[in-house]
Amino acid sequence: MILQHIADGILSGAIVSLGAIGLSFTMKLLRFANFSHSELLTWGAYGALVFLAFFASFGGFFDRTIGPFSFGVALLLAMICASVVTSIIALVLHRFVFERLSRTAGHMTMVFASFGVALVLRHLVVLIWGSDPIYYSNALQFAILLPGNVRVMPDQVFLLGLTIIVVIALHLFMTRSRTGIAMRGVAENPDLARVSGVNVDRIITWVWIIGASGAAMGGVLYGMTVQLRPELGFSLILPLFAAAILGGAGSLYGAVLGGLIVGLSENLSVMIIPTTYKPAVPFLLILAILYFRPDGIFGERSR
Amino acid sequence: MFRKLGLAAFAVAFGTAAYAVDCPIKLGAILPVSGPMGQVGERIAETGLFAVEQFNEAGGVQGCPVEYVLRDTQGQSAVGVDAAKSLVDLDGVQALIGAVSSGVSLPVLTSVAVPSKVVQVSCCSSSESFTALAEEGKTEGYWFRTYATNRSQSAMGAKLVTDSGFERTAVIYVNTDFGVGLARRFEQDIAKLGGSITAMVAYNESQQSYRAEVTKALEGSPDSLYLVAFPVDGATITREWLALGGTDNLIVNNSLRSDDYFQAVGSQYLQNMQGYDSAQPRLPSVDSFNEMFEVRFDNPPNGPGLHSVYDAVTVVLLAMEASGDITGDSIRDNIRLVTSPDGIEVFPGPDGIARAKALLSEGKTIRYVGATGALAFDENGDVQAPKMTWKLDGDENVETGYLSTAEVAELIKMLDE
Amino acid sequence: MIGLVSYLVFFLILSLIFGVAVLGLNLQWGFTGLFNAGVAGFTAIGAYTMAILTGPSRDAVFGGFELPFVAGLVGAMIASGISAVIVGLATLKLRHEYLAVATFGIAVTIQLVCLNWEYLTGGTLGLIGIPNPSKAWAEGPLAQNALYLLVVLVVVGLTFAALERIVKSPWGRMLKAIREDEIAASSLGKSPERVRLEAFVLGCMIMGLSGALYVSFIGYVSPWDFLPILTFQIWTMLIVGGSANNRGALLGALIVWGVWTTSGFVISRIVPSEIQAQGGAMQAVLIGFILVVTLLVRPRGLIGEELYVSRHARS
Repeated sequence: MILQHIADGILSGAIVSLGAIGLSFTMKLLRFANFSHSELLTWGAYGALVFLAFFASFGGFFDRTIGPFSFGVALLLAMICASVVTSIIALVLHRFVFERLSRTAGHMTMVFASFGVALVLRHLVVLIWGSDPIYYSNALQFAILLPGNVRVMPDQVFLLGLTIIVVIALHLFMTRSRTGIAMRGVAENPDLARVSGVNVDRIITWVWIIGASGAAMGGVLYGMTVQLRPELGFSLILPLFAAAILGGAGSLYGAVLGGLIVGLSENLSVMIIPTTYKPAVPFLLILAILYFRPDGIFGERSR
Repeated sequence: MFRKLGLAAFAVAFGTAAYAVDCPIKLGAILPVSGPMGQVGERIAETGLFAVEQFNEAGGVQGCPVEYVLRDTQGQSAVGVDAAKSLVDLDGVQALIGAVSSGVSLPVLTSVAVPSKVVQVSCCSSSESFTALAEEGKTEGYWFRTYATNRSQSAMGAKLVTDSGFERTAVIYVNTDFGVGLARRFEQDIAKLGGSITAMVAYNESQQSYRAEVTKALEGSPDSLYLVAFPVDGATITREWLALGGTDNLIVNNSLRSDDYFQAVGSQYLQNMQGYDSAQPRLPSVDSFNEMFEVRFDNPPNGPGLHSVYDAVTVVLLAMEASGDITGDSIRDNIRLVTSPDGIEVFPGPDGIARAKALLSEGKTIRYVGATGALAFDENGDVQAPKMTWKLDGDENVETGYLSTAEVAELIKMLDE
Repeated sequence: MIGLVSYLVFFLILSLIFGVAVLGLNLQWGFTGLFNAGVAGFTAIGAYTMAILTGPSRDAVFGGFELPFVAGLVGAMIASGISAVIVGLATLKLRHEYLAVATFGIAVTIQLVCLNWEYLTGGTLGLIGIPNPSKAWAEGPLAQNALYLLVVLVVVGLTFAALERIVKSPWGRMLKAIREDEIAASSLGKSPERVRLEAFVLGCMIMGLSGALYVSFIGYVSPWDFLPILTFQIWTMLIVGGSANNRGALLGALIVWGVWTTSGFVISRIVPSEIQAQGGAMQAVLIGFILVVTLLVRPRGLIGEELYVSRHARS
């Protein structure tokens, strides 16, 4: 059973990782804890639902499921469109709320504004799509048996694969492209970056786009393997923050590792403690890690 | 005349409510229409409104239309308590419908309903604490619930499991007073009936994934699963359970007798599922509730709390009809009058209600036989109801068995010995 | 009319009970800069302590000592104080978001313990029948509530006066010094670690007091009262009211709780009954919108920090 728990942990951790990347970046570059980030997952998932209906209406090639997976090309295209829409939402919020507040108020005010934004975003989903759970595909996918008596669903394997691809792509972006390198500079020292001729506003736009797209993908993958509901993002908010903090704000690999640790610790914990205490496990782990590394695993001491 | 006015003034001056019939008559509802229980609460709220509409179609209460004032609890006790207090003080309601979770209903009862002498009827709160409070006299009779207590449900679940010949049952239950109470009773009942439990797994609501819980419940290879959950999380758990190779011999609690749940999981995977629920008595006139509901909402009333909220509202309105001055006290006393075991039976729907009103105006006692059957409140405000068992046949929800109130009582007696 | 008065009394009781917790948080965040996101946990400890100390005894559940109300309040403060010492020693070297997530996790853990440790807390059923002292002294709901409001006002008044004295004392100036520049503060020969811990513990004791007042008033305590949303509400009250100002903290409690509840009243009035079931979502959108707009218009809260110097420095 331990192998099954490990597999479960990695798979549920992968979604957390995707969402946590954006959260971690905004936390580092914009210097505030964005509680509305998890709602971007919800909007990504529901946004994809709209585009899915659009693409699936073409029928044929678009509508067919691929191989062992429960979805077809339509959902993949819908996921890309949802990423765009979610990025636009994030940029609008940045322009009208967070940017203004960052000029006039402290970062705590931004944190609380983000809570208000989250409340609005979450309940707009209820008003638009209703509160009943929705599935991209009603067909139930049965797990395949892997060696070691481990059962996983094909969609979850896809999920893991996509997460790995996204992380590699982001790694290349951060190390090879001018924008990525500038982004790291802004993260390290915004003032220094600015005097070195970096367009900080443009970098921040990129941070939002990366964060929102990651969130949208995470949301779609969650919707694909679990279900769509208005509380989708809200129920992920604690694992997301746990992962971002655990890895250290601004660290790509930290966020990924943080997500996996959260997923694994939750799933493995039920072997020794009652399931009713499960939600506390990632936090107790964080406490232990932060006690020895107060700025996260990959975080650098700020003072 | 002057004496009466004086008394009324006296009553007002001392803050006790003494309302003559003022149109429209308000009925307060405190339900979680947003928040984690929003999906369940929204349908319950709509069904409550439906009951009010039907009563108004039959002419309202004492010739007055009834206004249904709904307030959201957001599933939070402080918000619910405030909403209830505002309904009582600012809207002048004399009866409250709600709440759903016991964690909200209980504080509303102790800090608003009882002190303000307002009747509270819940469709859904299952906690045993209410019975304990009533036995101590702390509810002062203002508390009722149309939801049959956990006792009979676990007995039905255990009976279904052993009747089907299952021997090794895993239990997954929601970690609330409702789920914990039910699962514990089930554990005792199943032992009595000769079955065995392979795993008792509690889950916390609104988690991102239930794979850990499901994997744990799969240990010990059970031949059946008893699931106590609500539709949204319940569907997630069932899908993960089936996908990970769990048996499709499911026994589910009545909170999962919901189209949302069947559709979410896919009814083709649920053909070996069995469940139980409160039953309506075998009377042709009672089928009308389900039919009327389908006409109004385009789908059958399958979902937690729908039948029981309909009855909660109707019973309260009938009790108001039977009252002279509508006060919490008169509603409290007249709820007994309109559900008296030796009264003339009346049924749901505008025609049934019109007939009930005619009988009441003739000074007769009536017995409301509603969507959950003949309501018989005991002295603690709890009900027992006849039970039915059901399964899915294709997409169709079909009844497979029926136990009258007496048979249910006998089953419980046998299990408690 | 009598109804309006009765509701107002009730409203004031609840918002002032929140206000007590906001005062505690203000000491931690407003004056010392400690990002405590575990408010709900420390109120829960106070609430359950009150229930155990003053409630009736029950089979199979610990406690039920039926102690007097004041003993319950004191006990609640001691219990949350002790837990704050433990939590503080483990977490106070963390900064900002890191401290927030750690304390948040502790609050989640405390809530889960309340939910699952039946012998101590009654588990999912909670604890019922907790006495409200005003019920013994007055007759009728309005008189009882008015009396309880008086009790709450006394507690709020004492807490407020004590905090005002404290923050203007040398120790209070030390808090702000640490908030502004810890290294400079420590170079003056003070121990920031120790002062931070003291402020944290004192703030948590006040939160415990708030929890105790709440359960006595409601007569019931359950784990569902201490979900993370409570922490958010208390924080919103502080930020909207204005942090580092005790009057702002109380004002924030009144206003935010007012918006939170009256928006429900307004929606039940204006939204047609057919779509009432959507009213909950509209209410939440409205609350969120008002919060964001308030912060945009008055980013430092309604009443911001007052600047003053030591009276010794003036003379």
